[in-house]
Amino acid sequence: MRRLRKIEYTPISVRETLLQLKDISELMIDLSYSAIILNDKELAKEVLELEERIDNMLYVLDMNLMLAARDPEDAEALAGVAHVGVLMNAISDAAAEIADLVLNDIEIHPVAEEVFKKTMEVLSRIVVVEGSMLVEKTVDELDLASAIGVDIIGIKRGKHWLINPEKEVIMPEDILMARGDPTGIRILERAARGEIDELM
Amino acid sequence: MNSCEGANSFEKICSELVEMKDTSELMVDLAYSSLLLNSRELAEEVLQLEEKMDKMHTDFELSVLSRCAVEEDSKGLMALLRMGSTMERIADAAVEIAEVVLRGIEPHPILRIVIEAADETVERGIISRRSTLVGKRLKETKIPEGTGMWVLLIRRGDKWIRPRPDTVLQAGDIIIASGYSEGAEDFKRLLRGEPGKGVGKEMKRNEEEVLNDWSA
Repeated sequence: MRRLRKIEYTPISVRETLLQLKDISELMIDLSYSAIILNDKELAKEVLELEERIDNMLYVLDMNLMLAARDPEDAEALAGVAHVGVLMNAISDAAAEIADLVLNDIEIHPVAEEVFKKTMEVLSRIVVVEGSMLVEKTVDELDLASAIGVDIIGIKRGKHWLINPEKEVIMPEDILMARGDPTGIRILERAARGEIDELM
Repeated sequence: MNSCEGANSFEKICSELVEMKDTSELMVDLAYSSLLLNSRELAEEVLQLEEKMDKMHTDFELSVLSRCAVEEDSKGLMALLRMGSTMERIADAAVEIAEVVLRGIEPHPILRIVIEAADETVERGIISRRSTLVGKRLKETKIPEGTGMWVLLIRRGDKWIRPRPDTVLQAGDIIIASGYSEGAEDFKRLLRGEPGKGVGKEMKRNEEEVLNDWSA
């Protein structure tokens, strides 16, 4: 059973939190579809970890909203904000349910799997090794979108997630979540393994 | 008599599921945009899409059930059914986000900082047969560069189309776009097939920027 701990109040920026909830819930959707199409349990576990993080963020968001209300008008308007948070959580719950299918060995039909691999854009999970040409470069400076038609939509570093990375410097052992042109993905995989020194 | 459908029905099931996925994602996009731009019009589109989504979900479930699965197939089909209901739930969440907008509460200062796009409008227009846009791919039309407006949605008959760079525009398409109000007139002229005044020439926007308004 999952150990639940008390969530303590921390002052946060409501705006920042809403943005993060939106980004994380969207990443979770992408990850969960990829997890089920590729039958990838590691991806599915990432989704569940993110789900836990969203649950915690939502608690803290609600605490901050409660403290922000000074009068009935505030309460009316802030209820809308709180509700948007709840709905982002609903989206993340939906993603977690797909991830649960993968972890419970409920695979999609092999015929469907083939079709989806062709028609849906799946995410790849790419591990960066020491000595790769990607190391110590920022995501922006690699400019992968124009170089090889690939986007890095998230980086997992240890237990932390960097979502929509731009200025972040890539480090050895980072796990890149990448999406885009299949040829470009293969080039990025080779670059991450340190097999090539140029993205060409 | 065997009323079960053959193996080719699988393609139908898959394409129905892919269409549901696209629709649910379009609904989430539009719902966030409606919130961002405080646009009742976009929120209404989400509600209309929901009706379509419900029908697609029913049709999809019927397609799966009419396959009369043999035992080794049933687990794989159940996973597809679960994916379908997940997409439906995502669509429902989008509808509720749109409903927050439709309740029409004046945005709280906190939400207003998130929105910060008060000078942007949402415009809708129909492409006339005389318009230079007819038959062009969206990326060739340079609508954002010319008018400062960003296309959010294309409606074609009873279809809702999520704009992509390769989408080819047709006469009769209804285009829904957002942008600064200065560019709205140029946008409408472009759709009607009249030369623009080029007011919005200097403005360049793209969807990423709209979304970056959240994080800027």
